Amino acid sequence: MKSVNKTIPSIDGKGLMMGRPAFTDDLAEKNSLIVKVLRSPHPFAKILNIDKSKALELEGVELILTHEDFKRNSYTRAGQGYPEPSPHDKFVLDEYVRHIGDEVCCVAAVTKEICEEALELIKVEYEVLNPILNFEDAIDNKSIIHDEPEAHEMFPIGFEPKRNIAASYKMEVGNTEEDVKKSDVVIKQSFYTQAQAHVMMEPHTVNARIDYLNRLVLYSATQTPIHVRRILSQTLEFPLSRIRVIKPRVGGGFGGKQALHGEMLVSAVTLRTGKPSKMVFTRKEVFESSYSRHPMRFDITLGASKDGMLETIDCYVLSDTGAYGEHALTVFMVAGSKVLPLYNKVKSVRFHGHVAYTNHTPAGAFRGYGAIQGNFALESAIDMLVDKLGMDPIEFRDKNMIKQGETSPIFAIMGEGTEGTAMNMESCELEFCLNRGYELINWKNTYPYIQVSKNIRRSVGMAIAMQGSGIPYIDMGSATIKLNDDGFYNLMVGATDIGQGSDTILAQIAAETLGCDTSQIIVYSSDSDLTPFDTGAYASSTTYISGNAVYKAALKMRQMIVREAALAFKVDESIIEYDGTTIKADDKEMTINELSNRLYYNEDQKQLTSTESYVGTKSPPPFMAGYVMIDLDTETGEVKIVDYVSVVDCGTTINPSLAKGQVEGGIVQGIGMAIYEEVLYNSSGKLVTNNLLNYKIPTRKEINKLTTEFAKSYEDSGPYGAKSVGEIGIDTPPAAIANAIYNAVGVRITSLPITPEKILLEMKKREGEKR
Amino acid sequence: MVKHIIPNSLSEALDYMSKDEYKIVSGGTDLMVQKRAWAETPPKFDQNTIYIFNLMDLKYIKKENNKIIIGANYPVEKIKDFKSTPILLKKAIEIMASPALRNLATIAGNIGNASPAGDTLPILYVHDALVKIVSKNNSRIVPINEVILSVRKTCINKDEMIKEIIIPILEFTKTSFVKVGGRKADAISKTSFTGAVNVKDGIVKDIRIAFGAVNVTVVRKKEIENKYKGLSVLELQSRINEILNDYEPFIKPITDQRSNKDYRKQVSLNLLKEFINNL
Ligand SMILES: Cc1cc2nc3c(=O)[nH]c(=O)nc-3n(C[C@H](O)[C@H](O)[C@H](O)COP(=O)(O)OP(=O)(O)OC[C@H]3O[C@@H](n4cnc5c(N)ncnc54)[C@H](O)[C@@H]3O)c2cc1C
Repeated sequence: MKSVNKTIPSIDGKGLMMGRPAFTDDLAEKNSLIVKVLRSPHPFAKILNIDKSKALELEGVELILTHEDFKRNSYTRAGQGYPEPSPHDKFVLDEYVRHIGDEVCCVAAVTKEICEEALELIKVEYEVLNPILNFEDAIDNKSIIHDEPEAHEMFPIGFEPKRNIAASYKMEVGNTEEDVKKSDVVIKQSFYTQAQAHVMMEPHTVNARIDYLNRLVLYSATQTPIHVRRILSQTLEFPLSRIRVIKPRVGGGFGGKQALHGEMLVSAVTLRTGKPSKMVFTRKEVFESSYSRHPMRFDITLGASKDGMLETIDCYVLSDTGAYGEHALTVFMVAGSKVLPLYNKVKSVRFHGHVAYTNHTPAGAFRGYGAIQGNFALESAIDMLVDKLGMDPIEFRDKNMIKQGETSPIFAIMGEGTEGTAMNMESCELEFCLNRGYELINWKNTYPYIQVSKNIRRSVGMAIAMQGSGIPYIDMGSATIKLNDDGFYNLMVGATDIGQGSDTILAQIAAETLGCDTSQIIVYSSDSDLTPFDTGAYASSTTYISGNAVYKAALKMRQMIVREAALAFKVDESIIEYDGTTIKADDKEMTINELSNRLYYNEDQKQLTSTESYVGTKSPPPFMAGYVMIDLDTETGEVKIVDYVSVVDCGTTINPSLAKGQVEGGIVQGIGMAIYEEVLYNSSGKLVTNNLLNYKIPTRKEINKLTTEFAKSYEDSGPYGAKSVGEIGIDTPPAAIANAIYNAVGVRITSLPITPEKILLEMKKREGEKR
Repeated sequence: MVKHIIPNSLSEALDYMSKDEYKIVSGGTDLMVQKRAWAETPPKFDQNTIYIFNLMDLKYIKKENNKIIIGANYPVEKIKDFKSTPILLKKAIEIMASPALRNLATIAGNIGNASPAGDTLPILYVHDALVKIVSKNNSRIVPINEVILSVRKTCINKDEMIKEIIIPILEFTKTSFVKVGGRKADAISKTSFTGAVNVKDGIVKDIRIAFGAVNVTVVRKKEIENKYKGLSVLELQSRINEILNDYEPFIKPITDQRSNKDYRKQVSLNLLKEFINNL
């Protein structure tokens, strides 16, 4: 292969490094009105009155919008396909505020300073209501967070707003309760995960203007431009045909930009004033007023036979969606559907639970999307079981985990908000991953731990994981390829490059198929007017879904070129030989440049364009084994990550270096969730960790060595054998590190993040018990 | 209207300060954060402010008579690179904030901020550093433990500023600085431990211990240190429980968003024990 499975630099890397204007805020109109939001100081309150008179008197204040300026159209910001599996429980502005940082009203003014001054002059009267600040107290609480009659589900998702339940679900294969009773060894344990923040470098940013055709044109740092356009139109009741959403370069998303954040208010301001406007979230707003990962509690019961066969898994999940139900059902379901099939040999499995509303910052999509939470719980519990069985963790997994050619009943039962799709694992190199990681981390000589110095214990821990590749029968991607004079191509895709490098790998897939150099493919992505439909960058779908669309479009373009060459040579298509640059038939020869110039200027004039789309009929999971080596300081409880070994099966790596970047970025973000990123609220519901000093993501100094390898694997249904790689990297660190800590000092930490404080406390308790 | 003054010389600065009250900005790495408003808008100073960061007459470091003398706005990164800077101070600076901040941050600011978690402070205490404080008509030299009075409280008067920090060069055979933060950069200490000893022929001639972030100011107890001077290393080690008991009452940390008091206390004592046991 010429272009695929080759490391080439990201096609946008150099321009971005040279500081070319490319990001949303670079492209705002210079005279944009600045839009800022007055945010709630209360976790739950009813707005009685908003006095904006003083602020309106201020020179330079153009407009103040409150809930009274909007029709009560409920919607969801989730940024999903239609109809959404998330409840419509949000208004552009509402007379209730449901978390600290929720929107009260917004000001548009000519400068930031005036905006700020105006915000201070707005006087709001609140009736403060009783907030729910603990998700375990939410269901059937006296306070009802969504009592408004307009809130509704789009199809049955178990929505019971009167009980503070945003969604619920239950499924069972076999009879878990019976099988638990029959099991020789049983583990019962609860696990907690925290509301991790995405911390993408570019905050949520959007700007709008009315163009010369009297249309609303938005630049937005979004993962889902097509959904943004639809949701804006539906909610503001403005014709879809008069909205254009352009996604320029985006500085990271991780799921945080799947949802709509500033788009509604900026559009409303521009539509009312006719003037361009813009909004850039502050870092504090990103923390408090966008969304986080769903915190969850898992109550897990595992049953196994004496000889180490896992017989049954019972898993109840309580998930905290915060003030709004964005991705409530689907994230919670993925906590089961992309975790439980790892152990497909069980006799019975049950997965059930509820997603509760609370008065915290809402939760939404985040890389891993439930799978990381579920992985922490299940893979920790498995190690507890293995310990009780007196077995080796690797041997146990090898015996019980899913392998090539096998399936799990869960695939057919659980989809994302709907039923799933049955599939066999056509490509599954998990066994290789397990064995190769074992070697790379030097498990044999380290497990369970070695004493490096008086107070340092070096240990190893591991976990296995799977993810998906798009949502079958829902996620659709499409691509258009246009041949230009002089023989180069435009590739137009709806797929959304948000820094992960999808424009680059899609160009590589097109180049491979067309036989040309990648530099001949000029990619333009995500402009709702110009590029074809794509659901967006989420659910690990771009390489597999959009990649397949690009592959099909390129194949078709190739056929068109061959047909035109045959016409030009006056020969039959079957004797044409085409290597991507030169077209040959018998003794005749023509370059693609000559052919295209002929087509556009001289003879048989016509434009060649091909458009194809792809919707998955299955979602082949990428797999990985994550092995960590840690140094645990028994004096301070501090954990140093010495090495993190990832052995990944994502099928063919279209661009090995970008694939490695995805895995390692995921690992570091997973390490952050595992041991650094503590989320703290004070007793009045205020997020304390709302800046980058208090909220500690790992820095370069925390990461010592990352060892990343890819298994040789080929997924027949993927473009050139590829599966997804965007999320899988994040899943293993929490469980692998928790297991390594147990192996080092014998304490089992069941809540994230695993801080030195927790480790030392548990060690102390254990000492006490021993005495 | 608040006044913003960028003086051209120290005497000009002191002149202004003799007439009006000013907040001093050195590197600004504490103040800019404390006065932060919205992103991309300048910080909000609600009082007169005087910027001393470019005063050349405060930007120096020199070695004189077995002392290091550091001008008030000499950035810590450069202090770290100065060859005669005591090793403990170098170690403390190495894990302070992050490189960009260290090129601005100053020790005078660390003192002026008077946070119990200031990382250079325990080092200054252990070295019995002196602080030269000047005003228009006066100049005084005050030991570091008398400069810092409590959390965010110093003895520096409104018309005064720190001119320089004087650190005696001492002889130690073994030193240790351990900072326990949430991560390895841009993290404020949960607790820190500083230890230094001078052992000659197996006899502990000098021992100095300081703890950061576990009380309202840095904890250094000369009475306790004196008690153990003159012992052999083995004798010292055999009395480890007594040493721990001596320090225990002074380690009174709080619970905040960075850590909790039980952890801080236990770790501080663990680090002390570790230091003594490894002499
Ligand atoms: C991200 C981040 C990470 C940080 N990490 C650390 C860390 O790891 N360890 C640590 O100790 N600190 C840390 N800090 C705090 C800060 O960098 C230090 O306290 C630094 O030493 C302050 O120096 P400065 O010159 O910037 O002080 P400034 O902000 O200029 O001043 C701080 C205070 O001192 C006063 N002051 C300044 N100069 C004088 C003077 N000459 N005379 C009298 N008063 C004066 C000021 O009026 C002010 O009250 C961090 C800060 C940030 C933003």
